[in-house]
Order: sequence, then C-alpha cells, then structure tokens
Amino acid sequence: MMETPKLLSLDALREYRRGVISDGMDKVTGIWVCCGTGCLAWGSAGVLEAIKKHIGTISADIAVGVRCEAGGCHGQCERGPIVEITPHGWVYHKTRPQDAEKLVRFALEGDPASPTEDKNPFTAKQEKRVLSRMGKMSPTSITDYIRNDGYEALEKALGEMSPEEICRAVSSSGLRGRGGGGFKTGTKWEACRRSKSGVKYVLVNGDEGDPGAFMDRSLMEGDPHSVIEGLIIGGYAMEASDGYIYVRNEYPQAIKHLQKAIDDARELGLLGENILGTGFDFDIAICRGGGAFVCGESTALMASIEGRAGTPRVKYIRSTERGLWDKPTVLNNVETWANVPLIVRNGAEWFRDIGTEGSPGTKIFALVGKVENTGLVEVPMGTTLRRVIYDIGGGIKKKRSFKAVQTGGPSGGCLPESALDIGIDFDSLTAAGSMMGSGGMIVMDDRTCMVDVARYFIDFLVGESCGKCVPCREGVKKMSLILNDITAGRGVQGDVETLGEMARSLADTALCGLGQSAPNPVLSTIKYFREEYDEHVRDGFCRAGVCRGMFAAGISESCVGCGVCRKSCPVSAINGEVKRRHMVDKSRCIGCGSCFDLCPARAITPERRPQK
Amino acid sequence: MIGVTIDGRTIAVEEGTTLLDAARSIGIKIPTLCHHDGLPPDGNCRLCAVEVDERGRKKLVSSCMYPIKSEISADTKNERVIAARRFVVQLLINRNPKAIAIGELAKEYGVVREERFALEADLCVRCGRCVRACESNGTDAIGMARAGFERYVAAPYDEAPESCVGCASCAEVCPTGKITYKDDGLIRKIWNRTFDLAVCRRCGSRYATKEQLAHIGRLGAANIAVEDIDEPRLCDKCRKAIYTAKFKTGS
Repeated sequence: MMETPKLLSLDALREYRRGVISDGMDKVTGIWVCCGTGCLAWGSAGVLEAIKKHIGTISADIAVGVRCEAGGCHGQCERGPIVEITPHGWVYHKTRPQDAEKLVRFALEGDPASPTEDKNPFTAKQEKRVLSRMGKMSPTSITDYIRNDGYEALEKALGEMSPEEICRAVSSSGLRGRGGGGFKTGTKWEACRRSKSGVKYVLVNGDEGDPGAFMDRSLMEGDPHSVIEGLIIGGYAMEASDGYIYVRNEYPQAIKHLQKAIDDARELGLLGENILGTGFDFDIAICRGGGAFVCGESTALMASIEGRAGTPRVKYIRSTERGLWDKPTVLNNVETWANVPLIVRNGAEWFRDIGTEGSPGTKIFALVGKVENTGLVEVPMGTTLRRVIYDIGGGIKKKRSFKAVQTGGPSGGCLPESALDIGIDFDSLTAAGSMMGSGGMIVMDDRTCMVDVARYFIDFLVGESCGKCVPCREGVKKMSLILNDITAGRGVQGDVETLGEMARSLADTALCGLGQSAPNPVLSTIKYFREEYDEHVRDGFCRAGVCRGMFAAGISESCVGCGVCRKSCPVSAINGEVKRRHMVDKSRCIGCGSCFDLCPARAITPERRPQK
Repeated sequence: MIGVTIDGRTIAVEEGTTLLDAARSIGIKIPTLCHHDGLPPDGNCRLCAVEVDERGRKKLVSSCMYPIKSEISADTKNERVIAARRFVVQLLINRNPKAIAIGELAKEYGVVREERFALEADLCVRCGRCVRACESNGTDAIGMARAGFERYVAAPYDEAPESCVGCASCAEVCPTGKITYKDDGLIRKIWNRTFDLAVCRRCGSRYATKEQLAHIGRLGAANIAVEDIDEPRLCDKCRKAIYTAKFKTGS
C-alpha cells in the first residue's frame, strides 16, 4: 500500500495516478464479494470471510496473486451473494461459504465455464456506464477508484476547463435530472452560476423514497466517489464552496461509505482549501434525513437540512436564486451527479451518442415485481419497455400474462400492454400518462387488481403527505376513502367520475410536485383499466381475485383432483373426490383467494359471485 | 414599476408586489384563509388561487405569495379558478363544518358537507397562522406536530410550552376560533399554563401578561427591565394618550 500524500497540484495528482496504476495490483486477480445491502442479507459476509480464510491457508507465494475484498452492488440482489472475479469478469450467483475453495481455485487456475456478464441475459443487454465500476472494485478504496479512471474528470475540469465551459458541456450533453422531473441539468447549473452571491450550495438528493427503487442506494454504497467527484466538479462549475449530501438514515451503509470517501478525498487533497493548488475551496458534509418521503422534494429537503420540519415551500422563486439558507443552490439526484464525471471526461458528444434526442444518455431502472429477473437495469434512454421487461427481465414470473407496468414510483402511473413498445424517456412516459420518476419499474401480472394498486399508492401518499396544503392533506385522504370503499365492495355509481375530477383538481391546486403528481396512479389506472373500476362498482367483482369478498373461486376442467384447495378452504366451500374435478359452492365461498396460488394445475380462477 | 393586468384592468405596481396585494389595491376581492397581513405568507390553504398568464403559459398560483416580476395578466374569477376554490372549500367543510369562516365560504361557493366523507368535525384548518404568529414574536412555543392528515397544532410533546409568554397572539390570528384563552381576574389561562396579568396604572385594564412584558424586555423592544416587572406601568393606549397630550399642550 502506498502512503497517502497530500496532493498539492494537478501534476501531483497525475503522478499519484501513475503510481497507483503501476503498483502491480492490476496483475493481481481480484475476488470481489458483493457486500451491498441485498447481498449482505443473503449472507455475503460469511462468503467473504470464508474466502479470506481459505486464501490464508494457501502458500504465501501463491496467495499474493489473489486479493479478496468486499465489492459493490451488481444490481441483481435476488441472486446474491454475488462474487465477481476480475480481470476476467466472471460473475457467480448464489454463492455459499463452502464455495470458497472453488472460487479461489477459479481465480488462480481459471474457470473453463467462464461465466461472464454477456452470458447472463439480465446483464448482457444492458449498457453499463454509470454502473460500470460496480462490483469490480472496493467502494471504500480511493486508490481503486483512481485505478478505474476515477478523478480523471476532476483533473480535466480543474486543469483544462473554465466553470463556464463545464456548464456549457453539461448543457450541451442534454443531461436531464434523474430524480424525477427530468429538468435540464445544464439550465439549472447555468442559472446558479449566473446568480450573484458569495455563498452558493450544491446538494445531492439521496433521499430515494419511491417504493422498490434502490439505484441511488446502490451507487452511494458501491461507487461513492463517483457522486463525490461529480459534486466537486459541480461546485467548481457553479463557484460554490459547500456541498451537502442528503441521505436517508435508512441507508446506513451508504452513509458509511460516503463518509469514508469524503474523508479519503479530503486526506488526498481533493477536498478542502486550495484543491490541487488551483485556488478552489470546496468541502462536503453528509446530512442524514429521517426518511420522510416528502423530503425528496427539493424545498422540503432544504428545509430539512436547515433543521426545520421537512415541508415544501411555495416555489415562485427558484432554488438557483434562493435555495438553502436563501442562497443560490443546485440540487441534483445521486444518479445525475454520477453522470457528471462521465460527461466531463468523455465529452458531451459521447454522452449524446446513446439515448434519445430529448433524453440522451442511459438511465438506471429498478426492475421489480412479477418478472423473472429483478434488479438494477442500466439501458440507453429510448429502450422499449418490452425489451426491459422481456429481454432483460426474462418475462413474467411463472409464465403468467402481463397486465401493467408501474413506472415513476407513487407519483407515476400504470401503463398497459399496448404501451410496451414505447421507448422509455422523460417525454414519452409523461405523454402516456405516467412519468420517469427516479426509475422505479414495477411489473404486474394478471393477478394484480388495478383498483387495488391505485388504492395502495394513494394510501402510501396519505401516510407520506406532509399535510401542509389543504388539497393534498384532505384531498388525498378523501380519494383514499373512495378507493377503500370501491375495493371493499362499497363503491357507488359516480365514484369513478368523482375520483377523476378530484385527481384533476388536486393536480391543479396542490402546493408541491408530490401533491400535484399524487393523483397519477388513479388517473392512469382509470385511463387504461376503467373496466376494472366499473366491474368493482357495478358488479361487485374483482377479476384479479384480490379484493376480498368480490369474487368466488371457480374450478376449470384442468383440475386434477389433488384436493389441496379443498383442504385449504377455510369455509369448506370446495367439494370433490380424489382425482376427479372439484366444485366450488359459490354461495359459501367468501372470496378469500387462498386456494388460487395453491392449485398446482392453475385450474382455479376468480369468477363473479352469484347475484343475491 | 411593472404593468399587470388583473381581470382585464391594467395597473402599475412595484416589482415584487404580490398578486393578492395588487388585486386588493383595485378592489378585487380574493378569498384567503391562511393569509394574514401581519404575518409572513405561507400559501398553504390554496384558496387565493388565481390563474396567471406568463407569456402564454397559464398556471394556477397562490396570489398571496406570487411576486410580480414581469408583465403578466391574471384572472381571478374564471372557471378554472372557481373550480379550484370550490374543491378546496369542499374539503374544508367536510372536516371543519362548525368553523364559521368555512361555513361562509361554503355558502359563497355553493358546496355542502358530504356526509359520506364527513370526518370527525374539527375547528382547526391547519393554516398555521398561530404558529407563524408565535414564530414572529420570537417565542416559538407552538408548532405543527405529525404529518399529513394527522397534522395538528401543538406545543412540544403536547406539554405546557415553556417558552409561551401568554400573549395570546395565536388566538388573535386564528381564523376559526380553535385556539382560545380565558382571563379570570388577574390570571390568564392558555396552552395549559397560567399567567399573571399586568394592570395599567392609569386605566386599570389588563393589557398584557407579566411574562409577555419580560419577553419584550429581553428583546430590548421597549424599556422594560426584567427585574422590576411587577412595577405598575401604562398600557399601550394610555401611553399613547399621554404622549399625544404632551404634543397638544405644546401647540
């Protein structure tokens, strides 16, 4: 290990980089055990320990050829613990401590199977740019980051570019905010740069509150320096002297790794006063959030950093004019910041090379729900939903049929099968009645009730509304009452129309972006799945078999007579002899749905209840 | 000065004037609830919504906070505006049926309480005027507790607030009468605390609490020493009367 010097000039950084690259570590085979939050839950700490222990037992002159350390997230958490062997790029899923000997042997002697990422359909069709380093280095080592092109962009920015040029590069790259709205990052930066103030702030939004989304957590945990490098460049470009990273307290590892990265960068002289002798002063602090969804909203986030309750303010004056502590402020999402070093290093043209005209670059999606492969997916903007769900996600679980995909988190919308060939970008999703949001993508199959989905998201927002403005506080609650009525069979004629009207009024009157977008799940499900609403209200029927008591079980001819359903029925409504088709007494069936998933022949489907 | 057109009438206002003030200056009435002339605006009730046309882009804004920075036109009575206000009033009357101010608004906008969505009746509309008044006084004794639908005005930990000086500004600015206090003899009860009232040595009115005088003394706003707070003083009215009298004899 090299001693950490304090780098006092750009030349010193170049010299240090040369030293890092030629330290011989590139010839050492790396065994990287993913220790992201997902893999840790699978027990990757045990795998890491077992491999290290095994390396300790082999002779020292062989052991110098391998290095085993905790790596970052691969994004395919359901397959954890994941181990990657570099430089070969071999990835192993579902490893166990007893695989240690085998993995070390592969690292030393090679693996004939050579399980590279292009052999895994989930990873083969991705375009990893922001995620390129994930899992192939130690997230807590600044030298690993530098070995993998880290801080090259900072060197270029401070050495060759003026703040104006950086803002122009970000503008012409067409980068748009990855956190939700898709506002042009360059426009924001230029507005902040033009603001006359001795004090300015640059902020990272790491509050990531959308259910199911975890790309920002993974980045902060697995490649924290990329966010920090982006932030330092942003500070230089906008002449800000302070940066804050706002991270929710539920992300302890992200906080730990970011803090380590900040400390290491400061020690090396990449943060602090007179950075690399250029006269630029900049430092970063982490601010932990309490986990309120609303704190992901920019003005609420700033209120939270200021130590006040996290509630949004009316935004007729932009944050780039008056933001944190009333000073010009730029807030970008984690993924947006991580894109900045790529743009500075490779140029705006390179960035525009992929993606769509209006939304260049790549986007990371958190693909979850009823798909075979779940996890983080980085693809060029414009990739179709079908490609993400079927080619990368491997299609619907258990070969069921696709019903909807929910994008954009609680403020997004549900899109039907007819929308599968939409190329995903900011504008196309908004046009279809959903939104990009932070990139959550929840796939739903035919066993999902769309009214219940709308109810779920509205209930989520009832719990997360800050309660400051009347429309969101009282309006979302009223929508929740209606939706809960409908899904409990108490819906009345006109409810769907009322919901639609309320949704439009709420979008028009709510104080902040969260309130304005809160009705999206309702509007989009009414738009594409109106029939299901009508069936609930008019017929008291839930075709998905989700809303309790609003359907009866029906057994088709494919019944094999195994009797599992009969035994599980809590009200003994199912009768039949072994190996003969069973029948349901629909007047007795309470519509609990417990038999559906048990049937090995998939012969049980929801049917209408007999008219009373 | 900037030209602004409101409901077809053009006037010149100083840059930064709020749309609400501009409208009021020419006699256009816009309903408000969370707004109070003596307090910083908050824009949370959404009742003062008007439609603004910013070079062709039309949007609803809270007129109490919208600063006029360029030549714009605004409509305070069109269909979209009325629908927005009716939506807000409907939600308010569902929860605050007994608040007189809300009842008047409901009548004006033609909405009635929806029994199906009638929630536990409450007088508080969560406008936060009380909290802003307390903040402006520098006492910060009350705030908003909880979030969302459960948001309510409270003292820290729902205990008697230590920093309360019993000034009753909160009750004074409350638009619905949710916050009350009781003066009984020389004692004032508010927020589960009791305060001694000071009596004017000239007219005998109970004009402030002693804690309030001490607070004003600490702020240095008036020549009040905290240690002789029990000294008989003049109330505001009498002090002004005496000063005015001096000027009268002088002329």
